[in-house]
Amino acid sequence: MSQHIVSEPLPDIQEVVTTGQRQFRRFNLNTIGVMTFLFVFTVYFLVPFFWLIVSSTKSQADLFGTFGLWFAPDFNLFTNLQQLFTFNDGIYARWLLNTLLYAGVGAVLGTFFASMAGYALAKYTFRGRNLAFSIILGAILVPATTLALPLYLLMSSVGLTNTYWSVLLPSLVSPFGVYLARIYAAAAVPDELLEAARIDGASEFGTFRIALHLMTPALVTILLFQFVAIWNNYFLPLVMLNDPNLFPITVGLQSWNVTTSNPSSGQTTYNLIVTGALLSSIPLLIGCIILQRFWRSGLGAGSVKG
Amino acid sequence: MQFFSSFSWMRRLALRFAIVGTLFVLMTSLAACSSGTNTSNVSNGPVNLTFWSWINGADKAVALWNQTHPNIHVKYSNVGSGPVEYDKLFTGIKANNEPDIAQVEFQVMPTFETTGALVDLSPYGAGAFKNQFVPWTWNQDTLGSAIYGIPGDTGPLALYYRADLFAKYHIPVPTTWAQYADDAAKLHAANPNTFMTDFPPKQPGWFTGLEWQTGARLFRIDGQSWKVSINSPQAQQVASYWQDLISRKLIKTEPDFANAWFHDLQSGAVATWITAPWGAGIIELNAPKTSGDWKVAPIPQWQAGQNVDGNWGGSSNVVFKSTQHPKEAAEFAEWLNTNQASMEYQIKGNALYPAYEPLLNSSLLSSPLPFFGNQNIFDLFKQASTQVDDSFQWGPTMEQVYSDTGDNFANAVNGQGTLGDGLNAVQQSTIAYMKKQGFSVSQ
Amino acid sequence: MDETARERSPPFKKSNGGDRSHQSPRIDRYNIVFVLMDSQGNVKERQLKEEKNRMALEVISRNSHPHAHRTFRRRAPAPYLFLMPFGLLFILFFIAPIVYAIYQSLFRSQRSGLGLGAPIVSFNGLANFADVLHDSNFSSGVGRVLLYGIVQVPVMLGLALILALFLDSAAARFKPFFRLAFFAPYAVPGIIAALLWGYLYDPALSPFVKGVQALGLPRPDFLGAGSVLWSIANIATWTYTGYNMLIIFAALQAIPTELYESARIDGGSGWYIAWHIKIPLVVPALVLTCIFSIIGTLQLFGEPQVLLPISNNISSSYTPVLYAYNTAFNYNNYNYAAALSVVLALVICVLSFGFLRVTQRQAGV
Repeated sequence: MSQHIVSEPLPDIQEVVTTGQRQFRRFNLNTIGVMTFLFVFTVYFLVPFFWLIVSSTKSQADLFGTFGLWFAPDFNLFTNLQQLFTFNDGIYARWLLNTLLYAGVGAVLGTFFASMAGYALAKYTFRGRNLAFSIILGAILVPATTLALPLYLLMSSVGLTNTYWSVLLPSLVSPFGVYLARIYAAAAVPDELLEAARIDGASEFGTFRIALHLMTPALVTILLFQFVAIWNNYFLPLVMLNDPNLFPITVGLQSWNVTTSNPSSGQTTYNLIVTGALLSSIPLLIGCIILQRFWRSGLGAGSVKG
Repeated sequence: MQFFSSFSWMRRLALRFAIVGTLFVLMTSLAACSSGTNTSNVSNGPVNLTFWSWINGADKAVALWNQTHPNIHVKYSNVGSGPVEYDKLFTGIKANNEPDIAQVEFQVMPTFETTGALVDLSPYGAGAFKNQFVPWTWNQDTLGSAIYGIPGDTGPLALYYRADLFAKYHIPVPTTWAQYADDAAKLHAANPNTFMTDFPPKQPGWFTGLEWQTGARLFRIDGQSWKVSINSPQAQQVASYWQDLISRKLIKTEPDFANAWFHDLQSGAVATWITAPWGAGIIELNAPKTSGDWKVAPIPQWQAGQNVDGNWGGSSNVVFKSTQHPKEAAEFAEWLNTNQASMEYQIKGNALYPAYEPLLNSSLLSSPLPFFGNQNIFDLFKQASTQVDDSFQWGPTMEQVYSDTGDNFANAVNGQGTLGDGLNAVQQSTIAYMKKQGFSVSQ
Repeated sequence: MDETARERSPPFKKSNGGDRSHQSPRIDRYNIVFVLMDSQGNVKERQLKEEKNRMALEVISRNSHPHAHRTFRRRAPAPYLFLMPFGLLFILFFIAPIVYAIYQSLFRSQRSGLGLGAPIVSFNGLANFADVLHDSNFSSGVGRVLLYGIVQVPVMLGLALILALFLDSAAARFKPFFRLAFFAPYAVPGIIAALLWGYLYDPALSPFVKGVQALGLPRPDFLGAGSVLWSIANIATWTYTGYNMLIIFAALQAIPTELYESARIDGGSGWYIAWHIKIPLVVPALVLTCIFSIIGTLQLFGEPQVLLPISNNISSSYTPVLYAYNTAFNYNNYNYAAALSVVLALVICVLSFGFLRVTQRQAGV
């Protein structure tokens, strides 16, 4: 990917936008002050992770017995991992796979459908277009929790509750994705291009594929957004699912947490919950690191150009 | 030319959607196979039942049943304990896909009766067991001539105490509540880091058990209406007793069954716990280092020489209306709670105290426990079980009562009002709530 | 393909449609648009419609010409077909539940006498809604989340803004590291973050509590009556600041640098630039993050639910969603829970639209 120079009304100032580096100082703030501030908040954001990592290396007894922010003499991480994956017949691994299924399929299909809808709203004029967009925009403001309960009742009337579909299907709906797709399609896909393609004999789906190609950054943004949203989803699967084999990580870990603190269960699994929580954060972290460049370049807000 | 090309793109589009749609249908039908819902066969082939319970050891009992009853296969699920399971039961009932059999505690029996989803087990031979269960449990599971559940276990209260701490600080084992309060003062004076017990404001089941002991009756059935007396004089008596201990800061007020509380049991910051037989398992599991330090004594009495007790917990197994095999489900429920091997799995797994009287003599319940200083604690509970008043009645909205009680008691321990004020508030809110639902209420 | 290249090379090519002569070369801080960059850093710009009543984030097509009629009929079914998959799912899983919730809220379960049998479901009109409006549990829950929101959202967004500004400044080094560090909490699923912080607040487990106690200071009570709400606020702030910061940071990155140059020529310092140029130009991003934060705050559920077993001070109606959840699942009172949900959804929509309107009015006039 070549770096592209953005042409400006003042052509003697050049800038490379993609790397985010400015070629001249714009702030005269004390570097030390800025760095200290950033460092302090880095500590704030990372200390819980550190605690999580340290705690994952401890046994249950050490969790309570030793100081939280440093390791115990007994390094128990591998035992914890082994216990984590064998507890309850290895249900944790199943939860990880479930979450991957829900988030992966949901994000991919959801992005595809949202991009189609956004493209249609942006590039065609048809009756009801503005009404449709307003409704979809309004849908972003509706709390997800309002939907989960009646959705449960509706799903149960067709016998879909407590199945993979009960979580997958609602996850395919991404009003925010349609919103993003629409504004990006309107901005990045020139009508002239589509017209030219049509003149050349391309079908509507063919022009859509051209548009998709141009909309890639937005697609990646929507995909990431949807993936993270479904990965984090708690309320919907909590309501829909009874069978622990179908739980995603969020519901699964919380169910362990609740079981640990109730009268008649026999489980004490704090070390497993902590290790499980650490593992559940890693996939998203890795994903975000890898896709960082797309995230950065996909979406922004700025000023009017002269 | 234009006409044909317009059709071709439509055709292609339609083809794509058809493919997607077919895949959709295929996947749906595949998914139906992987769902976890009730799949019982009506005609030939084994009967399949689903059973929800949170008792440790119930899974082994179910496995034994499946071995010995090849024609009736039961699938065991632990979907959570207590209210977590009830939440799922309510939604399941709404959707008509609740399990065939489930474990429910006594206090929610009326609530489940109000759903209309319980199956009367009397046509299925349940009546034969009538005199074999601890009497008050049978009363809790019957309504008129209908039998809605088979009692499983009970929770008569007793005083678990740290014998080592009592010895260390020369605290006598209290036999009356007045002595208990004196002991609390003495203990705390001797060691300011030690408290007689913990008062968990959001554990109304425990508090109700204590009220039960005084003869307080929160609910009574009076003809065709409910009599609600959550703030009766007896209840207020219990409230003011504990309020006094709280105000004098002789007891802790943290949530129970939480880390901090388990920690306190182990460290000796909390010296006693008034609880049921299943409490033994909790202490053993969460305060293992205190093995040998605990003993159990009868619950303190309000008047010297009395012998009355209350109950906390205990559950039954019920059969739900969506079942397609009520006869087999009833058979399973009866077996689960009366079969010796089955109950012994549950006793071992959960320190369950059986409601089925013949099993009270089980060998598992006759041996001294090293954790409790080689005391046979179950002898005491056997005695206590007979002292539980059998006319206690639960109301039809206990979740709401418990919620409101918990909220009000939490305010009281924070200094806003007293426990007694809380009882008054819950009385009002309960009557209002019940009336709103259409129940006939008298005061 | 030639056409594609021609289209993309000069990003500000004046197209054959639209008269651009009305464009002003000066910076007009009220003429704010949404600018998108593609993966090659080309900035595609869209100009805000000058109508005052449009939302600041609405974007219109570059070409204001209506499409040629000769192709209209041929393409007529196409948009509907493209919309269909999303539309179908949207109707099934969004509209239908909303309609069903409204429908459910119009009924009640009627009992009589002892009520120890199945209830009769009867039509109740708007009585459930009247009850909601008189329900002190609901109103105190709404009041609580509003108080929470008024404090937590500005704090979190203010922090996100400052972090973004600092990161954007030349004074900051190791930017990718900081960006990742700030974003990392977002990678932890929300409920698990609550679980994690629950352990960090728990007196038996928390290194903070134990550490402070070890120093001889009185034991901090994160779960006390006055503090638990702010402990929850801390969880949300920790989790979402980095995410919001990234959105604002991306907006900052899109600001053309010649703006700074002209300000510098005028003698402005770093703070001046930040206050007068950067912040006004990221207002759309701030509005976006603010709306999402408001919506999220009013739906607070997971964190109180996770902390409930370890704190005495979270009631069953602590937040409106928690109250609705308990009413539906614990009290088995679906109709009333539906009414609660509908009223809450209305409150959220009103607040969000109101907020948009207010910011519109400030930005657009």
